[in-house]
Amino acid sequence: MNGLGLHQRLERNAGLLIFGILFVSAIGGLVQVLPSIFQESLSQPAANTRPYGALELVGRDIYIREGCGTCHSQQVRPLLAEVKRYGPYSRAGESVYDRPFLWGSKRTGPDLHRIGGRYTDTWHRVHLLDPRSVVNNSIMPAYPWLAERAANADGDIQLRLKVLRRLGHPYTDADIESAPAKLEGLTEIDAVIAYLQQLGAGLGAEQ
Amino acid sequence: MADMPTDFWAGWIAVITVVSLAGLGWLIFSIYFSAESADEHGDGPVWDETLREGSNPAPLWWFWMILALLVISVVYLMLYPGLGSYSGALRWSQGGRFDANVAAYETEFGGIRELVAGAQLETLRGNPALMKSAQSIFARQCAVCHGYEAEGQANLFPNLMDAHWQWGGEPGQVEQSIRAGRTGIMVGWSAVLGDAGVEQMTQYVKTLAAQPDTAPPLQYTQFCSACHGPDGAGNPVLGAPSLVSGVYLYGGSDAAIKHTIALGRTGEMPGFENRLDDTQIKLLVALLTGNGTE
Ligand code: HEC
Ligand code: HEC
Ligand code: HEC
Repeated sequence: MNGLGLHQRLERNAGLLIFGILFVSAIGGLVQVLPSIFQESLSQPAANTRPYGALELVGRDIYIREGCGTCHSQQVRPLLAEVKRYGPYSRAGESVYDRPFLWGSKRTGPDLHRIGGRYTDTWHRVHLLDPRSVVNNSIMPAYPWLAERAANADGDIQLRLKVLRRLGHPYTDADIESAPAKLEGLTEIDAVIAYLQQLGAGLGAEQ
Repeated sequence: MADMPTDFWAGWIAVITVVSLAGLGWLIFSIYFSAESADEHGDGPVWDETLREGSNPAPLWWFWMILALLVISVVYLMLYPGLGSYSGALRWSQGGRFDANVAAYETEFGGIRELVAGAQLETLRGNPALMKSAQSIFARQCAVCHGYEAEGQANLFPNLMDAHWQWGGEPGQVEQSIRAGRTGIMVGWSAVLGDAGVEQMTQYVKTLAAQPDTAPPLQYTQFCSACHGPDGAGNPVLGAPSLVSGVYLYGGSDAAIKHTIALGRTGEMPGFENRLDDTQIKLLVALLTGNGTE
């Protein structure tokens, strides 16, 4: 049999054709995706990475809800210019507790993967409430409502932690038990700031 | 950095890659060059007298295109990492390229670093190119808080261009502010002073700026002079600002001063020791200390 004969057989047998298409499209995945699932440096947390605390997790969900990721990436690429500007380049192991990851692909604003500890909480608060008061030509929207809603307004923080535990994040019963108390009296802006302040923290700023 | 797959998966990747490439090679050769490739028509129906179903390869230039892609893939896999754990004849890696760039950068700036390290601040200020670098460092690292012209903003972040310094304006003191950061803590006095006392102290602080010789009320001497000085001149060791300068970190309105006295303030400047190198810090000190101190 030659290639043309094979082609004729495939074209005349729908089942075989479907199987053939699936088989050929799977090759890329078998080579690229499958081995990386088992690669330790991609599936184990980096030295500076731990599961999100309750407040940080709420902050992360607000970050997703407000679409911060449409303007901000969280991925410092291994290029000299980026490392000089933002800090050490991002490692795969830093994203193991991110479901979904927030690497992003668009930088209308700066990358945020190394923002933790760079500014103070006060600055973040002022900036989120009114970006123009500190960066006079900023085009980032203001988020005044974050200071009005309670951090546990949805009341489902324990459920969120349980779901993540089911997915393999090492939360203890005590973590889940104490989660609502950790949000007590705090607003959404506190949660977002807590989330931002731990981003990339724990790595030295220089390589 | 070289993070290669383990043995089993390296073999897995290599075998599948090689078999697919070989399979693709066989496919195109047999389609174009085997005996049966001649145009043969089946016994299918005929339309419009001459149109019949055939089984022909695509035009020949497709063959050359696919063959070229195959050759490029093979050459690529020989030169660069990709085939399992084989790291390629060029020994190229992303981490290696990054390290080389860093090394080249260090060499390129080595000379300037030495020049800056050995120079007087006055000399640095006289060098427009270096001051331009200092300004871009400031714009990236400091401007979001202190403003692009270091003019201070939001009644939270101090002006660094004037001659008034909370923590001292000598080069050593400014360097310390940048390296280690500063935390200025003033506790609130509403419980001690009461509403009337806070009001009275606010008025006194305001007159101090206009008439520095005004005799202090007893409460000032009692509660405030330990930090702000008996004459209100401030104390750079504690970061207690001068109350006679008429320049206010948190703004000069009655409400702002009252807020500070009643509820206190905690001004926090992050340390930059880990984010900036010695050269960058020295350039910033030169940039900021040009206007003297008072
Ligand atoms: C329309 C695009 C846009 C959106 C949406 C947006 N930002 Fe920004 N952001 C910017 C721009 C532009 C800047 C740079 C100017 C500035 O600092 O305000 C910025 C700056 C920042 C900075 C300072 C970064 C630095 O290195 O100085 C932080 C932190 C930040 N944004 C957080 C957020 C958060 C949190 C959200 C969601 C609540 C958000 N941003 C949503 C555009 C955006
Ligand atoms: C323990 C030392 C200390 C004492 C005592 C103290 N202060 Fe202060 N004060 C400070 C510091 C430090 C700051 C700067 C706070 C900052 O940087 O956020 C400050 C800031 C201020 C400011 C704001 C200045 C500005 O530029 O905006 C005023 C006004 C002030 N103090 C008044 C008083 C008065 C009135 C008293 C007495 C009732 C007093 N302080 C007692 C340490 C002190
Ligand atoms: C997150 C905001 C923030 C950033 C970023 C920041 N600063 Fe500051 N800085 C402050 C605050 C707030 C103070 C006042 C601290 C206090 O109240 O005692 C301050 C104080 C200072 C002082 C002391 C001023 C005095 O009067 O003694 C210097 C010097 C200074 N900053 C320089 C810098 C430089 C240089 C950079 C950039 C490398 C920088 N700052 C970045 C917030 C910031």
